[in-house]
Amino acid sequence: MASVAHEPAAGGPGRGPQSPADAGGHRPGWKAVLQRVISLREGSIIVVTVVTAIYFAANTSSFFTGTNFKTLLPYFAPFAILAAGEVFVMILGEIDLSIGAMYLFAPILFFKMNTSVGLPLVPAVIVALLMCAAVGAVNGFFVAVIGINSFVATLAMLFTFEGLALIVSKGTPVATPGASLHTTTQNVTHIVNGHAVTLPEQVNHISTFAKIFGGGTYSELIWALVIVGILQVVLTFTRWGLYTVAIGSNKLGAAEAGVRVKLVMIRNYVLCATLAGLVGIFEAVRAATVQPDPAGANEILFLAVAAGVIGGTLLTGGSGTVVGALIGALFLGILKEGLVLQGVNANYLLFYTGLAIIVAMTANVYVGRVRRGQGSG
Amino acid sequence: MADPPNTQPQVATAPTEASDDVLRVEHIAKRFGPVTALRDVSLHLKKGEVLGLLGDNGAGKSTLIKIISGFQKQDSGRMFLHGQPYEPKSVDDARAKGIDTVYQDLALIDELSVYHNMFLRRERVMRPVPLLNNREMKREARQALDGIGINIPRIDVAVARLSGGQRQAIAVARTVNSDSDIILLDEPLAAMGVKEGAQILDLVARLKEEGRVSIIMILHNYVQVFEACDRVNMIQDGRITLDRPTSETSVEEITNIVVDEYRRAREEEHAEAARSGASTSDGPPPDGAPQPS
Repeated sequence: MASVAHEPAAGGPGRGPQSPADAGGHRPGWKAVLQRVISLREGSIIVVTVVTAIYFAANTSSFFTGTNFKTLLPYFAPFAILAAGEVFVMILGEIDLSIGAMYLFAPILFFKMNTSVGLPLVPAVIVALLMCAAVGAVNGFFVAVIGINSFVATLAMLFTFEGLALIVSKGTPVATPGASLHTTTQNVTHIVNGHAVTLPEQVNHISTFAKIFGGGTYSELIWALVIVGILQVVLTFTRWGLYTVAIGSNKLGAAEAGVRVKLVMIRNYVLCATLAGLVGIFEAVRAATVQPDPAGANEILFLAVAAGVIGGTLLTGGSGTVVGALIGALFLGILKEGLVLQGVNANYLLFYTGLAIIVAMTANVYVGRVRRGQGSG
Repeated sequence: MADPPNTQPQVATAPTEASDDVLRVEHIAKRFGPVTALRDVSLHLKKGEVLGLLGDNGAGKSTLIKIISGFQKQDSGRMFLHGQPYEPKSVDDARAKGIDTVYQDLALIDELSVYHNMFLRRERVMRPVPLLNNREMKREARQALDGIGINIPRIDVAVARLSGGQRQAIAVARTVNSDSDIILLDEPLAAMGVKEGAQILDLVARLKEEGRVSIIMILHNYVQVFEACDRVNMIQDGRITLDRPTSETSVEEITNIVVDEYRRAREEEHAEAARSGASTSDGPPPDGAPQPS
């Protein structure tokens, strides 16, 4: 067993899925399991997240409960989707700050398309997302073709489109189309002391549209898992992912090898902006209100970028993981939910979140060093 | 910068009409802003031939390679591939037409594995879902590397972990493996140990024997040029100043040409300095061979 634990994990430096099965077939000890986990690119954030969850479970009574899981979801699923798109830009070695504006602008577009233009709900969503995609293409054009630094270009787009969102909405919140509740009185049967008792009750309904697009309890979680799953496969097992890593690692080299660098970069910006618009619509449907609030959108933008970085994607490019971003978002969600459950004063919440991110990243970097140290072939 | 008087015979400016030329380059010029990289370059490449390209740093060798490989476009001049006009629109386009390149900066992607690098832009994918067929790529990469006798212990590690020579070998193997009929090698022996360099030269010799591919190779080491090449072209100051089969020239002759060039440049500098009235106390240029910087 000891020999297993001291052997460098053979899959270490490679990319996730090729870590070989345990050669001997005997059950690996916990050390070996731990080492296997750490040898993943996502390993360090997994360890940090589990430790955080254990901490809150030990210090609060209601952390590991079903209801708490449901309240945790909105703190986590939207960021996972946003971060998944952002990871594709970050691996290029670029950044997209305009996702805050897409998050804000898409539901307003959706509202306008539905109410002013008169499109049905789903086509209105599609048009809103197409417009986000177009903005993403413009982002990509400025960064990849014109050659503006991506931080500056997308910051300008962030301001521009948050401003446009305020202009178009006149700064007034409106009810999200298709997300309103309607209440009916139904006969509901309960079993009480072995007797079937049927009583009329008030039951709230949301439309199927709302259930799918963010209103249902697990709707965003399912979207998040599906999107993250697909994008991780795209990143690891397709040409698109390969070229994304290649550009982030050696842009000139990728171009010389024949990779169409500008096209791939624009495509990734389109993906990122579209996903941000989708999350904006989800959140507007979930809250049943389209809220033109740039400050809130900016906070969401930074948390999404943080989720990507915490998850193990380098801001310098060339390396990253979508699943890591999901776990990074989960970490941020657990942190916020745990602090709330511990009864931390609302004024202290941001303060503790900041400290916790610093501590987590320090642990993350340290564990990462252990991973690379053992991975040398 | 003043043009030096052309005392060298302009051998290659008008290529002879030869039917066995796979590639002809005629009167190519290229400027980068104020810098003239190529003034007027013409050369030709026969089928199965290994052509060595010599010249000092900055003489324009790499620019010429980048133009032929479709990475950059010339300002003027024409190229012919198998007698047909050849105007590559991109690296991919040039590759589709059978011209592939090993660049001086290797074009390797540090973060990607050896086999992903070898198959970059030629990935094997599964059907019908176009997922990467990593198993197939690993197998073929291993075969290709074994076939040309290059020893890379593990092909699933990122190339960042390999030595300079191993990286160079992978870049060369990638190109050789690409079914191209013209291969451009920009300093394939840079950063290589003696043994690794010998392996690459062996590989070139083997390709020459097979006679399938034609090769243009930029080299710095004259001895290696005479070992590997059928013919040698010298680029000086954006022009071809020498075009001769290696059997009709020698290391000494080429060294002398370079030294002469160096002397003449120095003398001109002195003349210039004297003309502008600023007398210099520099001695005459040293007699030894120039130190390529």
